[in-house]
Amino acid sequence: MQASRARLFKEYKEVQREKVADPDIQLVCDDTNIFKWTALVKGPSETPYEGGVFQLAFAVPEQYPLQPPQVRFLTKIFHPNVHFKTGEICLDILKTAWSPAWTLQSVCRAIIALMAHPEADSPLNCDSGNLLRSGDLRGYQSMARMYTKLAAMPKKG
Amino acid sequence: MEDFIYISDSEEDFMSDRDSVGNDDVEDDDSLESDIKWTATASSTKVITRESLLVAQREDLRRVMELLNLSEQHARTLLIYHRWDVEKVFAVFVEKGKDELFAEAGITEKNCMIKHAPAAMTCEVCMEDIPKHKATTMDCGHCFCDNCWTEHFIVKINEGQSRRITCMAFKCTAICDEAIVRNLVSARDADLAERFERFLLESYIEDNQRVKWCPSVPHCGNAIRVEDEKFCEVECTCGVQFCFSCSSEAHSPCSCLMWELWVKKCRDESETVNWITVNTKSCPKCHKNVEKNGGCNLVSCICGQAFCWLCGGATGRDHTWTSIAGHSCGRFKDDQEAQAERAKRDLYRYMHYHNRYKAHTDSFKLESKLKETIQSQISTLEDQESDFKDFSWLTNGLNRLFRSRRVLSYSYPFAFYMFGEDLFGDEMTPAEREIKQNLFEDQQQQLEVNVEKLSKVLEERYDLLDDDKLKQLRMELINLSVIIDTLCKSMYECIENDLLGSLQLATHRIAAYKSKGVERASELHVWSTKESSSISCLQTDSSISATVGGTVEVGRSSSSSPDFESGCPSRKRAKREALGNALFDLNLPAEVIDKS
Repeated sequence: MQASRARLFKEYKEVQREKVADPDIQLVCDDTNIFKWTALVKGPSETPYEGGVFQLAFAVPEQYPLQPPQVRFLTKIFHPNVHFKTGEICLDILKTAWSPAWTLQSVCRAIIALMAHPEADSPLNCDSGNLLRSGDLRGYQSMARMYTKLAAMPKKG
Repeated sequence: MEDFIYISDSEEDFMSDRDSVGNDDVEDDDSLESDIKWTATASSTKVITRESLLVAQREDLRRVMELLNLSEQHARTLLIYHRWDVEKVFAVFVEKGKDELFAEAGITEKNCMIKHAPAAMTCEVCMEDIPKHKATTMDCGHCFCDNCWTEHFIVKINEGQSRRITCMAFKCTAICDEAIVRNLVSARDADLAERFERFLLESYIEDNQRVKWCPSVPHCGNAIRVEDEKFCEVECTCGVQFCFSCSSEAHSPCSCLMWELWVKKCRDESETVNWITVNTKSCPKCHKNVEKNGGCNLVSCICGQAFCWLCGGATGRDHTWTSIAGHSCGRFKDDQEAQAERAKRDLYRYMHYHNRYKAHTDSFKLESKLKETIQSQISTLEDQESDFKDFSWLTNGLNRLFRSRRVLSYSYPFAFYMFGEDLFGDEMTPAEREIKQNLFEDQQQQLEVNVEKLSKVLEERYDLLDDDKLKQLRMELINLSVIIDTLCKSMYECIENDLLGSLQLATHRIAAYKSKGVERASELHVWSTKESSSISCLQTDSSISATVGGTVEVGRSSSSSPDFESGCPSRKRAKREALGNALFDLNLPAEVIDKS
């Protein structure tokens, strides 16, 4: 309990210091609860998510960092490894391959990497996975772009 | 001819018993005490108790340690990874080499590259600056602070991961050093450290194909190891008999799948429910189940409510043969009738087999009482002046009855699935099925007839009979026992070869027929150990027994199974005789026994 608090506090300070260094990630801690965090990540360039800003919610367990934080997308996203309804993310480092040496910041980086490199063979979103697996890259990209425009970009006017 | 073969089998048994006298006495005496064992044989199954768990795995550990020149903990890691299959470890070693073998299992040998860290370092987990003496470096070279390591170990042990605690660094698959885990955890939580130890020890049971926990409830704490054949039935020292392959009660000649299905079927009485749903409709007013026994589709319940049989809706009583006034649901009904017919047939079929299965199980229970009756009769007889001194033929006959009764009762669920369509619908044409069914039922019937005869003979009041009559009954009993044993054997052969053996699509295997009943697992030898005090205590115990081996006193001096001592004195008497006469099996024809 104390350990996780201390570690999160350290991470908080680190985030404040690194804010400028990584403009793609904006990690914010809840004002009242250090175990709740949100992050805004920019969709990586040259992907259908480019130009979108996606919000992630972190729920940090008391055993952190020995157990991984639970992360999900709050912004709707069309991606094979993200559940379309709940925003749950299928990423090995958030499950079995978690290492206590990871930080919330590095988890965000891993999620950006996942957006750029979808893993069509272990899909949480089967429609999206099937498009990719059947080789319909164009279909996948246009769907993903459409949802990026609809959900992850500021509305004009 | 068959009898002859049987005799020669048993003689071999004697020989092997003789050879092993002096080593196996402890187990042999125990098994003589046991109810279903007639003669003692060297058992291929072993009981592993809480105390002998360490000894049981020592041999496997030692082999790996010696061949690969490893420490015990690394040998354990390797064996856990390969599910305690020593041959597999060696095969991988030969095939892929030492480096890959180690890498797969997560063993890293002491890394000489460890750079001597400065006096203080930053632990990457808690991000604190830690003085060097409060940090630990694993063999893989990753260094974190002791506090974080301890937390990590506690989390992993609580998650049940004791056997494979990996390093905390990302993508590092190295297994943490047992000794470090032990030291750090015991400093924080001694109970948990003990749990860690036990998990490591019990890995030998949990992760091992050849070892299973005894399924007794409440648990006796033992596990059973089989040496070669996984499809077998075994008896634990606690007295529970079970199928090693599926851990449920001993059920041969049923296969494990058949038995699982049968138990489930009997439990939810699914056939009855099935029949009710297909053949009855519940009354829309009183909700009783109503079966239509004829007539048109306007059905009236005993409560007086009339309703339409086709849709189940309440109606008025005004109707003709084809229609009900003011009601139309116009449904097509052919399909339903066929369904009802099928359900009815399935139910009758199930009832047929279930009734017989139940009848034999019930007889088995009733006959268990016979055991006490017969034993009291024997003790009366032993006190009488008579030519007979040995009555083990009587207990042997009784044991034969129990054994064959079991076989008989389990043969019904077997037949239910073997000749039904649930499991093997596509395997046989109806004609083939009929031939096979006749073949099997013929054998089953013969067995049934003889078992009933045996049961009747055993109902006699032996203590009231004169010697001539006794002699005659003894012959009858022995003959019946031999016949039944042969019949059981050939029924198993028929099942294994002609029925299950000829299946193309599915594989079902059953435990082989053991003429002498379910094999009793023997205690593990603990000669060569100097470990804990409890083990050495066991050792002395068995060496005492060994020195007096072969005499009557052995059974009494071995304290390992007090439960069996509580048996009737006459049985002990029988044992004494048996030992004196070199363990004869009274299922043999009389001539053979007389000779010995």
